Amino acid sequence: MAEKLNKRWVSLSKTPLDIAAAYQFLQTPAAGGIALFIGTTRQWTDGHETTLLTYESYEPMALREMHLMIDIAARRWPISRACILHRLGEVPPAEASVLVGVATAHRPEAFEACRFLIDRLKVQVPIWKQEHLTDGEVHWIEGNDPPETTVT
Amino acid sequence: MVSFQIQLYSVLRSKLAAASVALEAHDGVTAGEVLDTLCDHYPLMAPYRNAMRLAVNQEYALESKIIHAGDELALITPVSGG
Repeated sequence: MAEKLNKRWVSLSKTPLDIAAAYQFLQTPAAGGIALFIGTTRQWTDGHETTLLTYESYEPMALREMHLMIDIAARRWPISRACILHRLGEVPPAEASVLVGVATAHRPEAFEACRFLIDRLKVQVPIWKQEHLTDGEVHWIEGNDPPETTVT
Repeated sequence: MVSFQIQLYSVLRSKLAAASVALEAHDGVTAGEVLDTLCDHYPLMAPYRNAMRLAVNQEYALESKIIHAGDELALITPVSGG
């Protein structure tokens, strides 16, 4: 599932994230800076080893929430281009699960908007990961906070 | 009475071993009443009562929101993307 608009690109896909394509999408003469955050599968956490992460999503709602986040960010910062790409299914250690990219005229806004988008994604977007450990145990990772309600 | 199907994901789908659950409710039921009723019917959900949200037509609903026949419903426990 992918949607590529003039100034934004939001997608969920089971294939490895195309980081070069994201950078190419973000490039514009209007921008003086591009901030890219890439989240990857970490092998070691507090002494336990992760062999694999698997991601699932409520896809239509996830895409909708990703668009909403960009709408909010675009009201707060002058964003030229923004992309949010998330991988689903299996993501082995060191590989990328999420990419958030923002192009703005000046550097501070790029960092701030990029940070906002990845932080909000981790609370609002209905995507969950399951962690596979070396001893064969598999468990769902649960976030700390419930999402914000948006509907009256 | 109105019949609803509520989609399950992640830990709730695993614990209940089902992709969705059915619920019969009176017309004009609220999101909060749906969550309470589900937790009564499915004790495995009860620990998540205060952490989960009801998504109505792909938006997080306030507990006061009134649910209508034909609405798309899903239970969302705290997410862990990224």
